[in-house]
Amino acid sequence: MVQINFAQKEIQCKIVYYGPGMSGKTTNLEVVHGKVPEQARGELTSIATTGERTLYFDYMPLDLGQIAGIKTKFQLYTVPGQVYYKSTRRLVLQGVDGVVFVADSSAAKLAENKESLADLEENLKEMGKSLKDVPVVIQYNKRDMPDAMSVADLQRELNPHGLPHIEAIAKTGEGVFPTLKDLSARVLEAVNKGGLGSTRAKPAGAKPGEGAATVVAKAPTSVAAPRPSAAPSHAASGAPSRTPMPAAAAARAVPSFAGSIGAATAVAERPSARPTTSQPQVSPAAASHGEAYAPKSLQDRVVAVSGMSRSGPSGKLILLLVLGAAAAAAAYFVLVVR
Amino acid sequence: MSSVSDSKIRASVLVFYEEDILAISSVLDAFLKKSAARCALLVDKDGHMIAARGATDKVDLDTISALIAGSFAATRALAHQFGEDDFTALFHQGKSGNLQLSLVSDRALLTALFDDATTVGMVRLYATEAAKRLTALFRRKQEGGTPVNAATVDGKAFEEGTSGALDSVFGS
Repeated sequence: MVQINFAQKEIQCKIVYYGPGMSGKTTNLEVVHGKVPEQARGELTSIATTGERTLYFDYMPLDLGQIAGIKTKFQLYTVPGQVYYKSTRRLVLQGVDGVVFVADSSAAKLAENKESLADLEENLKEMGKSLKDVPVVIQYNKRDMPDAMSVADLQRELNPHGLPHIEAIAKTGEGVFPTLKDLSARVLEAVNKGGLGSTRAKPAGAKPGEGAATVVAKAPTSVAAPRPSAAPSHAASGAPSRTPMPAAAAARAVPSFAGSIGAATAVAERPSARPTTSQPQVSPAAASHGEAYAPKSLQDRVVAVSGMSRSGPSGKLILLLVLGAAAAAAAYFVLVVR
Repeated sequence: MSSVSDSKIRASVLVFYEEDILAISSVLDAFLKKSAARCALLVDKDGHMIAARGATDKVDLDTISALIAGSFAATRALAHQFGEDDFTALFHQGKSGNLQLSLVSDRALLTALFDDATTVGMVRLYATEAAKRLTALFRRKQEGGTPVNAATVDGKAFEEGTSGALDSVFGS
């Protein structure tokens, strides 16, 4: 689920590479990691077996820079393709904002492609979503295989919903960027339509929290400086034939939302109608420092745990007097009264 | 008993405003002060960071958030194998650094990184308390709804800027 952080002026989206085993999902991510500008990429983390098969997921953060003053970040995941990792795929798919389905073009892999696609649909269904709700781009990978099916045949077998598709040879990098670029445009379009727009004031009767965004305000870190917009010299080699909407077209196709994003830039001026007195308050300055906390001594903490307060010399004297008086009263009761 | 259940909070979308973040930061700061943990993160279960306090300068917050969410999701699946809904707290022990995770309202994860300046008992005790306060905060938010008037960001500019941003990363 997309997260929109208006304090940092930051959007985070989750993109998952899905598909059968050995179809090239991790290769896609490795190519992206290897070719995007250094300042845009984070560390590529892989939870893999010793045989380099993805065990849980591969992960890489990708920073697209600022769009209209909003820092836009993608979190890229792959899932393990093997059939028996179904439950793991479902975990990784949780909260997904866009899917690249990496299909193997080999005729011998058709059944596996179909099974994986059905698996994706089933997992989305369990999340209350469908292929129509989530932006999905199909990548027909391994176009260089001798037994590669024709795109027309692949479309007929795998793409009854008419999802956008792109041809690729991931191991050479071909088609990798166009795939991610196309999906990114669609995800951001959906964010503009649903996510950012959903932060607008709701009409009366709207359900609280309705929408698709998590908006966070006033987080501690500062907004990164915008990246120069000049196109770098790392364009993907050779853009294969493809039908999907190019990024520019996708952006143009977005309905005019002037005024739709953001509602939440006004978070700082949110009306104080909703009482917050029950919340512990800190000053904005104090809340945004983020510095390390200097730990207390162990004695201090133990005292805090027990709920006692340390007393000075006068406190101890009073305590001794009270105890003495109590002892004297007890002795009087025993010796005199009885 | 609140009228808002954990399942409703889990299913719905949470929107945080400045006062929410101030309140969350206050809870995290109080937790850090009491527990002497090094830093505290509140991570959405989808892997996005909501807030971080303390010594976070040497931490890759994006990656840690993704891995924490993944770790918790895997542990939840493990819990189901044992007939449990969840393991609501997790502890990872390292040579000098440790990690304590606590579930918050089935929606987020309170994560504490700590070293030998404190003990796991201290961290766990105060993490439980902080998780309860954060859960209460989430519930109040859920009941509070959306503010009536809010300013706007230029959606048209976002729409127009998308193409350029993608070109700058992926080439035109």
